[in-house]
Amino acid sequence: MSHYHLYTTLRILRNGFTNMFRNLWLTIAATAVMLVALVIISLGVIINVTTSNAIDVLSQELKTSIILTEDVTTTQRELLEKTLRSYEFVESVSYISPAQAQARLTEDPSIGNEVLQASALFEGASFLKPSYEIGLNDLSRAGELSQIEDDARFSDVVERVALGRTDTGRQTDAEKAIDRAAATERFITIGSIISAGTLSLVSIMIIFNTIRMAIYTRRDEIAIMKLIGATPNYIRGPFLVEASLYGVIAGIFSNVAVYSLVFILGGKVADSPEFSQTYEYFTAPSTIVLMVLSSITLGVLIGSVSSMLAMERHLKLRNW
Amino acid sequence: MILLDRVTKSYNKKGAVLERINLHVENKEFVVIVGQSGAGKSTLLRLLTREEKPTTGKIIVGGIDYERLKDKDVPYLRRKIGTVFQDFKLLPTRNVFENIAFALEIVGMSNKEIKHTVPKVIDLVGMKGKELNYPHELSGGERQRVAIARAVVRQPKILIADEPTGNLDPKHAWDVIRVLEKINRHGTTVLLTTHNMDIVNKLKRRVVTVKDGKVVGDRARAGYSGNRADQI
Repeated sequence: MSHYHLYTTLRILRNGFTNMFRNLWLTIAATAVMLVALVIISLGVIINVTTSNAIDVLSQELKTSIILTEDVTTTQRELLEKTLRSYEFVESVSYISPAQAQARLTEDPSIGNEVLQASALFEGASFLKPSYEIGLNDLSRAGELSQIEDDARFSDVVERVALGRTDTGRQTDAEKAIDRAAATERFITIGSIISAGTLSLVSIMIIFNTIRMAIYTRRDEIAIMKLIGATPNYIRGPFLVEASLYGVIAGIFSNVAVYSLVFILGGKVADSPEFSQTYEYFTAPSTIVLMVLSSITLGVLIGSVSSMLAMERHLKLRNW
Repeated sequence: MILLDRVTKSYNKKGAVLERINLHVENKEFVVIVGQSGAGKSTLLRLLTREEKPTTGKIIVGGIDYERLKDKDVPYLRRKIGTVFQDFKLLPTRNVFENIAFALEIVGMSNKEIKHTVPKVIDLVGMKGKELNYPHELSGGERQRVAIARAVVRQPKILIADEPTGNLDPKHAWDVIRVLEKINRHGTTVLLTTHNMDIVNKLKRRVVTVKDGKVVGDRARAGYSGNRADQI
């Protein structure tokens, strides 16, 4: 970098910094709106990841089961397994033999001995059937598995598709729970995208106006700069720096606010299995640094885009 | 140094503000452009600083043909031309030193060079001791001298002064004219517009008269007659 560029860059930075304090109230208003937008965006990301992780944990608990007929052959089973693995929303496929199912049932403390004895008495030793336990990576597509039942190739193989651990004879509200969780995840994703988008747009408009007013109050200075030979970049630079500084400040303070909530509220649920992994992830130093840098980058982006729009519209540097 | 060849400027079809102006100014010349308000003097100067583009005709300043000048090069052209305005155009939030330094800052001069250069120009325009004063603390004449200092601090080859004495009383007006003469003696070409006939007559420099957008008189290094002035 030549001396000219070095001194010019330093002066642009200094002027941008000075200008920011000249219109302190406008600066505070613009930064505050951007701060709210960044808080919403950060919280949206955190809630989204938290919900997604919680649903993942839930999906591991609530596995879909395909109950097989008793006389299923190994070849039929392998064909079914291959077909199941070909679905992109299927995460894992595990075969549970009647013996394994029996073992699990015995280990499950929530099942009373009386129930087991009664079932054995009623259905005989073979009341537990072989099954496949399916782990899903997209719970909203769990319903698609029911197509297996209608597939002619598996009409003699599949007895039924069920939700819950294995075919223990217990039918729960698992399907409804999965649907609700998936719907919640979709709602949070859409909600956070809409609110973040709206607030970003509001920020852009407010910063646009702030820079427009700054251009208006400094119009004489700008006219003089143009007349004595300042380049367009020298005139634009301080406005760009000023708006970017709003982004830096908003980025830092939004993270202070967001992490206060994470530590206060997250700490209360950190011990539950659905949230422990997420809490650990978000409170790791590397994630905190990433979140701060992302917020600052986003803030600077919002600030610079709005100031560039305002300058394009009001500085009129195209015609000299 | 400055050449205008059949330059016409019009903003609409009704009529031209300047019509087929021919003007040739030599290096180191001091030219006074006179004319009534609305005659086209300021438009002529705005064409030279490229604030306006001519409708037709050719302008060449310091070897630069304005027809071939790109917009991105205009700031660099303006750095070669010093400009002084009737309303001073000083920055109210900066003191005398800072106002003059401003012209050097935009060209990327180091702080050390600025501290070395600015005092010399302050001395040239007779403002020594007022470096830290703000524009509102100065008289009109002093403000104009600061504006002149800012215009010449980069040592331009050409200085354009658009009615620099317009807002000044006779004493301060003459102070400013003396400074312009001093700068001209240092080798800078000076173009001065005025309608102060006292200044025109006493200066005894080349006088170009503009009337209704046309050059109607061009007298080189002659005393300007009062009768002629009355006709303007």
